[in-house]
Parts: sequence; C-alpha cells; structure tokens
Amino acid sequence: MKTKQYSAKIFEITLEDEESFISFFNKNHPLLQNNLIVINGQESENIKRYLEDKNLKYLFNVEIPSYKKQKSNIEPIKQELEQVKEKIEPQKKQKTNLKVIDKLVRSGQEIAIDGDLLLLNRVNSGGSIIINGTLIVTQIVDGSIRCNGDFMMLQASHKANIVFHNVEVDNTFLQNKLNRVELINNEIVITPVLKETSWV
Amino acid sequence: MGIVIAVISGKGGVGKTTTTANIGLGIAQNDKKCVVVDFDIGQRNLDMLLGLENRVVYDMVHVMDDNITIKQALIKSKMSPNLSFLAASQTKDKSVLESEKISKLIESLKAEFDYVILDAPAGIESGYEHTIEFADKALVVVNPEVSSIRDSDRAIGILDSKSKKVKDGEEVDKFLIINRIDSKMVQSGEMLNSDDILDILSIPLIGKIPEDKGIIDASNQGKPIILSKDSKAGQAYARVASRICGNKVDFVDVESHKDGFIQKFKGMFS
Repeated sequence: MKTKQYSAKIFEITLEDEESFISFFNKNHPLLQNNLIVINGQESENIKRYLEDKNLKYLFNVEIPSYKKQKSNIEPIKQELEQVKEKIEPQKKQKTNLKVIDKLVRSGQEIAIDGDLLLLNRVNSGGSIIINGTLIVTQIVDGSIRCNGDFMMLQASHKANIVFHNVEVDNTFLQNKLNRVELINNEIVITPVLKETSWV
Repeated sequence: MGIVIAVISGKGGVGKTTTTANIGLGIAQNDKKCVVVDFDIGQRNLDMLLGLENRVVYDMVHVMDDNITIKQALIKSKMSPNLSFLAASQTKDKSVLESEKISKLIESLKAEFDYVILDAPAGIESGYEHTIEFADKALVVVNPEVSSIRDSDRAIGILDSKSKKVKDGEEVDKFLIINRIDSKMVQSGEMLNSDDILDILSIPLIGKIPEDKGIIDASNQGKPIILSKDSKAGQAYARVASRICGNKVDFVDVESHKDGFIQKFKGMFS
C-alpha cells in the first residue's frame, strides 16, 4: 500500500447563484489556481463545466476535517508554554541588561549593578564596582572590583584590587592594553586581547 | 550677583587657607570686590594669614545667630580696599551651622561682592558639606602626592552629589590647583607629575604653585605671598587670580628645573 500525506490549500465557498459564482471566479482565478475548491450547495452542470474549463480541482459538499478539535489538544500546552515564557523572559531581560557609564568612579563612590556594565572611564583609588554580570572597563582601575559575571575585560591596572567569583586576581598578570579574565574549569584564565579595540 | 567659590581639598595641610588668602587678595588686586569667608568653625586661621588677627570683633556665627549685621562683622583688609574678611567662630564648633542660615548669609554676601570665597575645613564632615552646599564653583587644592589626590577625589565626589546646584540639576565647575610643586622632586620622579594628577581627577587645571619657603614667613607676618613680587609662588597665585577674573594667562612651567648647570647644558642641545 502506498500512502501520501498532503497539506493542501482548500478554498471553501457557498454556492447561492451561478452568475455571481462565475463572475467571482473570473476575477479571482489567478489566486485560486492552486487551491482545492470545496463548494457547498446544489451541484450544477454549468458550474462543473466552468470549473473544468478553468482547470480547477473541485469537490462538492465535502465536510472539511475541522482543526478546532485538534486545537483544543494543543491549547493547554500552548498556554503552559506561554506561562513558562513569561517566567523566563524577565530573567532574560535582567541578564542582558547592559548599563553603560561614562562617569569617573571617584574615591568613596560605589557602583553596584545586578546586570552587565561597560564603564568608559577610570576607577580611582578608593572607588569600587560590585557587579553580578560581565564587566568591561576601558580605562585604568586603581580602585576595587568585585565581579561575578562570565568574564571581565580590564586594562593593565597594577594598583587595582580585583576579585572575580570570590577569588582574588593577581593583577600582575594583567599586562596588556586589554585583558580578558574568565573562569575556565574553576581556574582564572587571563588572556591578553592583542587586537586594537576601537570603542567609538 | 557674585560668584561663590569654595576652596576645598579633603586632606588638611595642603594649603587651602594659604590659597584662599592669596587668591582673595589677588582678585581684589584685579579691581573686583571680594570677600573671603573662613568656614573652619572652631579652628580659624585665615585671619592670621591676612594679618587681621586682632581686628576680629564679630564672626560668622554672631551674624547667623545674634542680631549682628554683616557690615558689623566684615573686616576690611588694609592691603586692598576691595578685600573683606568674615571670620569663623573660634569658640563654637561645626554643629552650629544650619543650611538655612548659611544660605541667608551667602545670599547677602553675594549681593555685595563680585566674588565670595569660602575656605573649607579639612575633612568631609558636616562643616565641609555646609561649605560646598551653596558653591557655584570650586577650587580643588592638591599636593602632588597620592593621599592628597585620593582625598580630593573623595571631596569632589561629595561635591558632585551634595551641593545644592547639583541637586537642582546643574553642575558645579571645578578647577584644580596643584600646590607645593617641587621641581626637583618632580623631575626625579618622586613627585607625581601634573599630567598624571589631571588624568586621575579629570577636572581642568587653573594653576600650578611651586613650593616656596617664603610662604611660612609670609603666613607668620600676615602678609600673603602674592605681595612679594619676586616670589615664584606669589606670581603663580597672581596668575590664578587673574584667570579666575576671566583673563587669559598662559601657563608657566614650574615643573622643570632650569637653574642647574647640567640643565643649562642640556638646554643648549635641545
């Protein structure tokens, strides 16, 4: 036995009077070319002949299997999905919440942010940054940094006190213009970023 | 209306009061009416530096609390008719200061003078906060050493968050004075050079004052160093005062030390 499954386009129409039916098909013929036409109403020779002339496939008075029943099976799952989405999305938003700060962090000032931070200025001695996300500082850091994100990008900063995931980073390893600090297998890995970065 | 300028530093002993006295006198010499106010309640010094030690009858606290008018409390300097002085109380302490009264006092000074210069106390406590509260501009005095710079940095941070102008959504203009620059030590690398300081504090420079031993004697005598025309520090203060009055004055290099024979020799080839 050979079976095939199609999902075809079906155009359903109720036949009331032949003239308006034919004029409708004359107008919309190009649109309906590839559809299977299902006609509800009295079968008539005129219509059959007309449709065959136009080379359209048609059926009379066929009940189309309704999707409504199937939908009712899907809907609870859909609702569940949406509920889960709603739960996830605010978290997602927070996680991708990047803050850009262009101000100098002066002594005694503290920037504490739950998301990510791009700091385009320096951190002076006595200033501090506490952050749960990823941190990028484009200028020198003389103050202290606490970061729990995926990675940090820092300049060579020999006065800085840097703690990454509760481990103190030996800042003598920060040697280049820009260094990437990340945690790989519970070990802090510092990779120099040698490519010139333009921040503008 | 006058401009209110607070002279701040955070750390003590960097030369705030000396700077206030000299710049106040310098502004007066530029034909502007100027009043210097000592805000260091309980530890007044400015009267001595201006040579007005035994002329103080009423002080700031008398004006704020008792029925003494400002005219009664202001002391005119003998050195310039344009310069007046308002003393801090020596018997009270910082707790007598209240925003409302200070605001009233400063408003009445602004009405009468072109420049109102406030000498802030050291530290960043209430006395300091009251000084900067109504300031339009600030002169930040630092010495070329790390602790002075960090303290000034902190003081600027507080200025940027607690002054009335900032709370109203404006900004207080800050200008940097690097005081007590020892050219020999800068060249040997023992003292921070001014580019590094400007990098850290990132506020515009308005003057560099070289170290001058004559300042101690000038303070003891009650004659600000700006009066001795051949003192390098005095000349530097005069330039700062002129810049504050809106004149364009070129910066003079006080950091390179050109007196020595080797320097001269090097200069011949450079």
